[in-house]
Amino acid sequence: MIPFILRRLFSVSVTFVIVSILIFTMMHSIPGGPFDAGDMPLPPEVRARLNERYGLDQSLVTQYINYMGGVLRFDFGIPFQSPGETVLELLGRAWVPSLVLGGLGVLIGTPLGILLGIAAALRRNTWIDYLASAVATLGLTIPVFVTSMIMILVFAVWLNWVPASGWGAPDKWILPIAAYATIPMATYARYTRSAMLDTLNKPFVTVLRAKGLSETRIIYQHVLRNSAIPMVTVFLPMFIGTATGSIFVEAIFRVPGLGAYFVSSIRTRDYPLEMALMLMLTVMFCLAYLISDILYAWLNPRIRAGGRKG
Amino acid sequence: MSAFPAPPLVDIRDLSVSFPQHDGVVQAVRGVTLHVDTGESIGIVGESGSGKSVSCMAVLRLLRSPPARIEATALSLGGVDMISADNRQIADTRGRVAAMIFQDPMTAFDPVFTIGQQIVETIRVHRAVSKAEARSEAQTLLTRVEIRNPASILDSFPHQLSGGMLQRAMIAMALSCRPQILFADEPTTALDVTVQAQILQLIKQLQAEFGMGLIMVTHDLGVVAETVDRVVVMYGGKVMEQAPVQDIFDSPAHPYTRALLASMPGQGGGRQRLIEIPGASPNPANPPTGCPFHPRCTLADAQCAAAMPAMSQTGPSRQAACWKLA
Repeated sequence: MIPFILRRLFSVSVTFVIVSILIFTMMHSIPGGPFDAGDMPLPPEVRARLNERYGLDQSLVTQYINYMGGVLRFDFGIPFQSPGETVLELLGRAWVPSLVLGGLGVLIGTPLGILLGIAAALRRNTWIDYLASAVATLGLTIPVFVTSMIMILVFAVWLNWVPASGWGAPDKWILPIAAYATIPMATYARYTRSAMLDTLNKPFVTVLRAKGLSETRIIYQHVLRNSAIPMVTVFLPMFIGTATGSIFVEAIFRVPGLGAYFVSSIRTRDYPLEMALMLMLTVMFCLAYLISDILYAWLNPRIRAGGRKG
Repeated sequence: MSAFPAPPLVDIRDLSVSFPQHDGVVQAVRGVTLHVDTGESIGIVGESGSGKSVSCMAVLRLLRSPPARIEATALSLGGVDMISADNRQIADTRGRVAAMIFQDPMTAFDPVFTIGQQIVETIRVHRAVSKAEARSEAQTLLTRVEIRNPASILDSFPHQLSGGMLQRAMIAMALSCRPQILFADEPTTALDVTVQAQILQLIKQLQAEFGMGLIMVTHDLGVVAETVDRVVVMYGGKVMEQAPVQDIFDSPAHPYTRALLASMPGQGGGRQRLIEIPGASPNPANPPTGCPFHPRCTLADAQCAAAMPAMSQTGPSRQAACWKLA
């Protein structure tokens, strides 16, 4: 397992370099710059000095090398949108709400979805199954910004149970987290149901019954474990969710998270922040794949045993 | 008034199994009566769709019901009435009274657990023994099924073993709770020809050693010739003939049994064309009237198409259901 992880970490760093080059190039190929006349009416000499100060007058290659040199020292520069702090400080500040929103959303939505999926699979073609399927289908097809607005309308405006938006006090967390949780819940409900049904139809389940195992034991000891293998792949998007929150949910509930910066840093040509966000996403993706693969191998002896078969 | 004789180990009387479909009912088994006594071995022979596997699955209650509809005047295993039994009694009977081995050993084990874990689990479901005791018992069992390196097989996952090895392990698992009867559903069909004979030999030998009853389900008369005392020939969900194995080969009474024997390859030796039974097996959703074999039978007449003949005694310990018995 350790060499496997080391190999994967090496390929993660290669990916990291390739992605950084691609993003750096694409970012600079968008016309305009951070200190363009349209956005900031500055005298040309001031603009030239700013460009010089941030190294924007140098060749792209030099800029890239300088930037990556900084990255190695964990120096991601100063965000143009908010020059009073470093990029790292801004990320540290804005990531907390996103992490709380995404993390709690996943932590609440995932078990609910799995339970719903199990119930649906075990009570196939009953009202439980239909209800679970309806929840899953609605959750997957209705965009989260629509769900969010319906929830605001019902729980904040009509019932007046919770505040409609904002962050700060924990009562303001309820709605955005609930709205975000519908995504993992719907996804997991659907995957769990189909993975369970798939496993229940395997011949080995009949053998387990013929051995005299109780149905409960068959489900919890064998069927769930086997069904978890395909479900690990769903883990990936959920993991990314905890990193970024949901751009839509954050915007609707005015959560001061990272989501807004993904958009604003592109619009304002905030090169340092944009690079940092994209590289962060890259690392999250790679980590998610790595964790998925480790989980997959841990659950599935056919992968774990590797080439041992003679 | 004399005491009732001990009930047979397996007692199936007038068993019917059907599967309602959206456009009719598939009648897989239509009135099968079958007994197995302690230590007796029988073979159920028939082509696919004859209802032989379904009958066994029905006795062990392994058919999902619904959709399956199971009816019988008696359906018992070692004295346990499998129709009125609740889920706990059924689970308790399976594995302990009656064990089953299946056709394809490659898909019969849970892929995420080792062979050892799966045998130990079976033992511990039925008996209060420690994990260590169960493991050492499992190791002994693997030796009994002639596995040479039992300790390493115990720690192997199913995908690491060959079909023959897995079938041996499955037999060991089935025997782990000392069942009184073993159901073997085409246990060699999925295996290499070279391994088939070894597995059959092993089953026969263990059956004698453990003093179990055996029901060998197969489409291959060659298999029953080597392993069982008595043969039950099934066709179209019904029993056509049953007789001691020697009688089946020496003097088959039923035209279907005769046709089956004639279609066995290698009877005369040398190069010869395989003889087939003309026609196709009956459609279980719409079985023929009368005797299910009459559309393919060379002796059939109007009576055969009109009504199913009753089982009649054709010898001291054999019966057949045919209007044309000599």
